[in-house]
Amino acid sequence: MNFIALKMLVGNRARYLSIVIGLTFASLLITQQSAIFMGLMTRTFGFLTDTALPDIWVMDPKVQYIDDIKPLKETESIRVRSVEGVAWAVPLYKGLLKARLSNGTFQTCNVIGLDDETLIGGPPRMLQGKLSELRRSDAIIVNDIGAAGKLATVLPDGRRVPLKIGDTMELNDHRAVVVGICQVQRTFQSQPVVYTTYSRATVFAPRERKLLSFVAAKAKPGQDFHTLCQRICKTTGLAAYTKDEFKKLTIRYYMKYTGIPVNFGTTVVLGFIVGIAIAGQTFFSFTLDNLRYFGTLKAMGATDRVLLQMILLQAALVGSIGYGLGVGTASALGTLLGRTELSFLLTWQLLLVSASAVMVICAVSAILSMRKVIRLEPAVVFQS
Amino acid sequence: MITKYLLPILAVLGIGFAVFTVIKGSKTIPPALPVVKPAIPPFKSSVAGAGIVEANTENISVGTLIPGVVTEIYVSIGSKVKAHDPLFKLDDRDLWAQLAVRRAALRVAMASVRVAKESLADLKNQFALAESLSDKRAMSIEELDKRRYAALVAEAKLAQVRADVSSSKAQVKETLTNLDRIIVRAPRDGEILQLKIHLGEFAPAGITQTPLVLFGNVKPLNIRVDVDENDAWRVDASAPAVAFLRGNREIKTPLKFVRFEPYVIPKKSLTGDSTERVDTRVLQVIYSIERSDLPIYAGQQMDVFIESSEPIPASGAIPQTKQTETDEVKS
Amino acid sequence: MADTDNIAVQCKGVTKTYGSGSTLVHALRGVDLEVRTGELMMLVGPSGSGKTTLISIIAGVLGRDDGECIVFGHDFRHMSHYEKTRYRGQNIGFVFQLFNLIPTLSAAENVAVPLIINGVKRREAIGRACEILSRVGLGDRTYSPPTQLSGGQQQRVAIARALLHNPKLIVCDEPTSALDHETGHKIMELLHDVAVGVDRALIVVTHDARIFEFADRIAKMDDGHILSVENSNYRLTNKKKN
Repeated sequence: MNFIALKMLVGNRARYLSIVIGLTFASLLITQQSAIFMGLMTRTFGFLTDTALPDIWVMDPKVQYIDDIKPLKETESIRVRSVEGVAWAVPLYKGLLKARLSNGTFQTCNVIGLDDETLIGGPPRMLQGKLSELRRSDAIIVNDIGAAGKLATVLPDGRRVPLKIGDTMELNDHRAVVVGICQVQRTFQSQPVVYTTYSRATVFAPRERKLLSFVAAKAKPGQDFHTLCQRICKTTGLAAYTKDEFKKLTIRYYMKYTGIPVNFGTTVVLGFIVGIAIAGQTFFSFTLDNLRYFGTLKAMGATDRVLLQMILLQAALVGSIGYGLGVGTASALGTLLGRTELSFLLTWQLLLVSASAVMVICAVSAILSMRKVIRLEPAVVFQS
Repeated sequence: MITKYLLPILAVLGIGFAVFTVIKGSKTIPPALPVVKPAIPPFKSSVAGAGIVEANTENISVGTLIPGVVTEIYVSIGSKVKAHDPLFKLDDRDLWAQLAVRRAALRVAMASVRVAKESLADLKNQFALAESLSDKRAMSIEELDKRRYAALVAEAKLAQVRADVSSSKAQVKETLTNLDRIIVRAPRDGEILQLKIHLGEFAPAGITQTPLVLFGNVKPLNIRVDVDENDAWRVDASAPAVAFLRGNREIKTPLKFVRFEPYVIPKKSLTGDSTERVDTRVLQVIYSIERSDLPIYAGQQMDVFIESSEPIPASGAIPQTKQTETDEVKS
Repeated sequence: MADTDNIAVQCKGVTKTYGSGSTLVHALRGVDLEVRTGELMMLVGPSGSGKTTLISIIAGVLGRDDGECIVFGHDFRHMSHYEKTRYRGQNIGFVFQLFNLIPTLSAAENVAVPLIINGVKRREAIGRACEILSRVGLGDRTYSPPTQLSGGQQQRVAIARALLHNPKLIVCDEPTSALDHETGHKIMELLHDVAVGVDRALIVVTHDARIFEFADRIAKMDDGHILSVENSNYRLTNKKKN
């Protein structure tokens, strides 16, 4: 019976195509929008993705998300180091500082100050230069996108000359020399990222009583992160999060206090509705078209189960084709636009989400159609 | 035929590409490794502190009592000196000149003594002569008294001139002392750690921003460890402690407890701004570095871990209070 | 009718109403009918006389209100929905006025449908469909979709479909009314040639008087009653022809 079901569907080319196109659009919209959303959300904690070495982040208990810097006392990193189960703990500075460019304009940069000694928390990928060159005087490392974009020198004819090793710039009225170009995750606000040492960052930073942004700590092998976090919390009175908890905290903040999720959620829901409206409706009218033949099959001895199987198979076929085309197109779009400012992150969870969305659309259409077929009296075949 | 096979093939390709994108996107970049491995506490439970290496005499900023221009330096950086060895000398020309003047004055005074002595002898002689006259009428009483007083005055004058001599002598001695004082000497055995004064530079008297000469005994070196006041109670004098050299964790040394600095001091912050409000105070613990064969220098920072047998309050204190509560309920 | 061995269908006092209240329609008002195996029974009568309702009840696609209707010893009333469906699939063949061929399947595939419903493997079913298609003279059109076939050819495909699984009873609803006279005549000849067998009964509903001659017996219906059942001599004449 399966080939009959498939032939019934595929043979009706107009209906078949419009169902597939509807589902393709639905899954494209859902996948692409949620992938952009995911990309945007991962950008919010891009710094944490880059700084993968520490297990635990210690900060002021009032910190709400990663860019919400509430400075700590310098000695806190030593106190964290004193907690049982901590292998090491290093201070980190993270802040926005003004850079003065050669053409006189100002650009806010995301400055990250690494522990002077170990340089823990450095960029994961160095394109030019070495991380250890941060030990040179006034040294900074700039990310490639920032160097080629916002920090580039603009010539009178409009060309941009990217910042390169050996160039100097002014950070908050202090001289800084570029000693390396690195590649990091794009930041949410798309600011250039500047790496330097902690003590140099405190020199660059405006005078404040406290300057320590985070203490990044590593657990001793075999330590349970959560117990360790609680222990750090109780011992120092600070908030300690595992890397994933900190990421979640950041995402939760953006989810709660920005309109981003609602915005993307609307589009995803829209995609879903488009899917139901176009694909579901077309599928239903396809069944209505074929009701006469379903009746014939019923009269000729096809049981309800067989007919339901046929409809489910048809729904599954259009579902998988629409889904495949949709996610394929979404991935292709994502890959094409991957080198631009557009954030695109496709995860297997998203593939599952859009698969289940398509499945729901197909199931709804199939259920409507099946109701129609089940209620169909075989006697209709004799009514011309 | 096209719709029959093309669409499913495209769909399969699409899913394949999506899966590829997922795999590509989920590939995590390995994190940057630390340039230097951080120190890992060698004890199960420990108090961490930041230490600064110093001389066991503490670092002595040698100063001068007399301001002046430096004319001679007897030592160089790293010189090992004994107590009272000269370090540097200030300009002494004025003192030599003064000495010459004062010595001349001494000679004048001494000459005056001889004059006064002769003068006294003469007057005494005249008075004796007059007194020995048998005929009292040969000289009036008035004349006799005159001669007597003249002799007495001459005697007093001699005493005065003699005092002048001692005064001049004292002045010469003062100048000589000053000449000695412009040579700054090592207060004790040790090593020159820093020499910030050069020939021809003016050395002001009093406390200077940078010490003229930083001096101390570096065998053995001591380490001054800052422990946050919140952790201070956990430090036990008898507990073993280990210091790690920054930059190479392989270089570590056991420490021997020397003393606590009994006064808890405000923590110096890196910003170095004098108007800063201090919110952290640190207990300073002095340890002696036991290994002298390591490339450790005075002024260097080290990470120090002091073993702490005290349980972390988080895990220890709370159950204890619970215990007492239940005890109370029982009783 | 003492000889019950050759009785295919026996209806006694079958009634059927549609709707209720003021819209109540009495489609059948107590019908008695007997169809024997090996015969072609034709049901004739004007529209609304209850012909279609009667064959729907006989074919088991419609329930009756009252009376008795036994098809080869089975009473549909005592069967579950599933059993009824399976019984239809195995024992009854259908030929419809508008053929009801699935337009996206080829002729052979359409013919193979009843076998496939009964669980025969696709390849075998299509093989047997091709054989029977050549029997109805369409051996060269097995792969054509119904849309490329003429009305007569389509009805031949439909007859092939009704015959393929060798049912005991074939029900034909106005098989010729969508066809012109000549084609209709040929279809009836074909139906008679290939379908009528010793163990099989055919019921043909029609109001096309030109094909009455193919019937063994003709039951005339009107207003929910069987008016008369007459013998026809077609078979005799046909046999004479041969």
